[in-house]
Amino acid sequence: MNEIFDTILSAAFVAAVIRTTTPVLFASLGGLLSDLVGSLNVALEGMMLIGALTAVIVSAYAPWYVGVLAGLAVGGLLGALMALFHLRFKADVILVGFAVNIIAAGGTVTALNYATGGDKGTSINLPSKAVPSLDLSFLDAIPGIGPVLTQMFSGHSYLTWLAVFLVFAIWYFLYRTPEGLRFRAVGEYPAAAEAAGISPNRLRTYGLVASGALAGLGGAQLAMFNFVGFTRDMTAGRGFIALGAVLLGRRHPVGTAIAAVLFGAFEALSIALPGILPRVPGEVIHTIPFVVTVLALMLSSKRRVTA
Amino acid sequence: MTNGKIFFDETRRILFAAVIALLVALVIILIASKNPLETFQTFIAGPLSSKRTVGNWIDDSAKLALAGLAFSLVFQARQFALGVQGQVYAGGTVAAAIALSPLGLSWVSIPVAAIAAMMAGAFLGFIPGYAKAKLNANEIVSSLMLNYIAYDIANLFLRLYLASPKSGLTASEAFPASAVYPAFIARTRIDLGVVLALGAVAIVWFLLYRTAWGLRLRLTGHNARFAAYSGIRSNFIMVSAMTASGAIGGLLGALFVQGQGFAKIVVGFEGGLSFEGILIAIVARNRPLAIPFVALGYGYLRQGAALMGYRTDVPAEVIGIVQGIVILLVASSFTLPGRAFLNRIMGGSSAARAPST
Repeated sequence: MNEIFDTILSAAFVAAVIRTTTPVLFASLGGLLSDLVGSLNVALEGMMLIGALTAVIVSAYAPWYVGVLAGLAVGGLLGALMALFHLRFKADVILVGFAVNIIAAGGTVTALNYATGGDKGTSINLPSKAVPSLDLSFLDAIPGIGPVLTQMFSGHSYLTWLAVFLVFAIWYFLYRTPEGLRFRAVGEYPAAAEAAGISPNRLRTYGLVASGALAGLGGAQLAMFNFVGFTRDMTAGRGFIALGAVLLGRRHPVGTAIAAVLFGAFEALSIALPGILPRVPGEVIHTIPFVVTVLALMLSSKRRVTA
Repeated sequence: MTNGKIFFDETRRILFAAVIALLVALVIILIASKNPLETFQTFIAGPLSSKRTVGNWIDDSAKLALAGLAFSLVFQARQFALGVQGQVYAGGTVAAAIALSPLGLSWVSIPVAAIAAMMAGAFLGFIPGYAKAKLNANEIVSSLMLNYIAYDIANLFLRLYLASPKSGLTASEAFPASAVYPAFIARTRIDLGVVLALGAVAIVWFLLYRTAWGLRLRLTGHNARFAAYSGIRSNFIMVSAMTASGAIGGLLGALFVQGQGFAKIVVGFEGGLSFEGILIAIVARNRPLAIPFVALGYGYLRQGAALMGYRTDVPAEVIGIVQGIVILLVASSFTLPGRAFLNRIMGGSSAARAPST
């Protein structure tokens, strides 16, 4: 048991949590923006997956940041597609979202097969690039805690710091700008917002596009930093866990971020545990993030008024 | 509108979606295949190429029908529980445990395993329903999480208790013949499962359209607030719909492992089929009696895609793209604006523009 606590309390574990949290954090911030304006985005999983593959393929032929931007752009396009079918053609947003997930699962394998010339499982033959890491080793100079800080915070992806920045940027947008107020108003009571001259559908479109773009960034981080390269179904439920983080975070960016860190921590734990507890079956350890998500959802939902 | 008119409209709508989806598949094949004509021919005509492939088509359709039935039951109550996959793994594991036990040496194991599998599935279906009714937990996320959990636990159970060492711990020994669904046509996968699937369709139809419970369920799905005002306990309806749907998912698990297709339990035996039930339910508009026909039609495309995956250079996963587009097109004509749009592009000359959006 002590070994577990030693692991969790180590600086290396904090670094691992930051790493596992980043993709989920992007996707859950995206999920927050679309949930706020009233369209629950169940397609985060598929958007991440397509974003990941796009980023990998593009980065094989262009600089890394073009790959990241391509992941972001394709996610945004998928969000626009969802908005088109949901808002214009009046399809249920859950069904549209699941259609995107299904297209993503089949489409990524098909596209990978085409891009690699016959490989259906991984992009190992594509020379895809990684997002560079930000070196903060100057923190070493701080007396006492410097080396620990370096171990925790140095060497993370540029995108990790972008995600942290986005938590505050989205908070500022939602709570300190007029457009953010409109966003929240549409989610709270669309009829009132409409009566005040705000078009709910315009904001819902923005919400879906933004959620797709952020999920695409999450996919890019996953396939260009956490792992370098694409494997089929590599998101492995992270998009759905991000959706859980949105619901758990009570529609607030900081709450969502805390929930994402919680899930990231349990994912990091499930990666670290097999080395510490070799006798516990790997399958059981693998369920940890999912069990935690479903339990957290059940325990936290009770006091929520909005569904 | 008369029933005949609705039927005609629905059929036209489905055919339109199918044609668009096939055109998309054709375009993908043209891009991706070195020999597109032959590939497309395999996709379209492959399922009829032998007695065995026809059998696989029928068997897949029976499974798709059950998956579609499970989704349609919760969709009719307007619940988006998506836990069929987990229920299939739970049901399949329980059925396999019974088939490999001493009970498997008698025909009794077939009904016993089916009932036990249904109970396991029903339990998994009940959890998200209960969590939503009592704790207001979103059923989409909780049912999806249960899928992942059930998959892992099924694999653990298989590895520890059911697997044979010869298989590298990824599959069990073949079940005794008495625990395998008898085939109706020798050397095909057309077996007892087809009958069970059709029976389930009939039972669900009866429950939904000929019982008070079914009426309450449909009313709740149609307008939950109205149903609550008229004294329907919508929470009970919701939980019971999810539980019944779970039982169907569990039965599907038994069909998988005890059918002629496997006759043993294998890691990942479900192969993603469960989620294709969403398409079946949407296209059939959650009507139980329409489900077998939709399942046959889609099952044909699915079998064609599978054969294309084996025999040509285009992977079977193309079917996912076809599937998603059909869901988008069919689900989006739910209400008038969507229908007007469909009519407009079907009447006009710009039909080719629609799928590219």
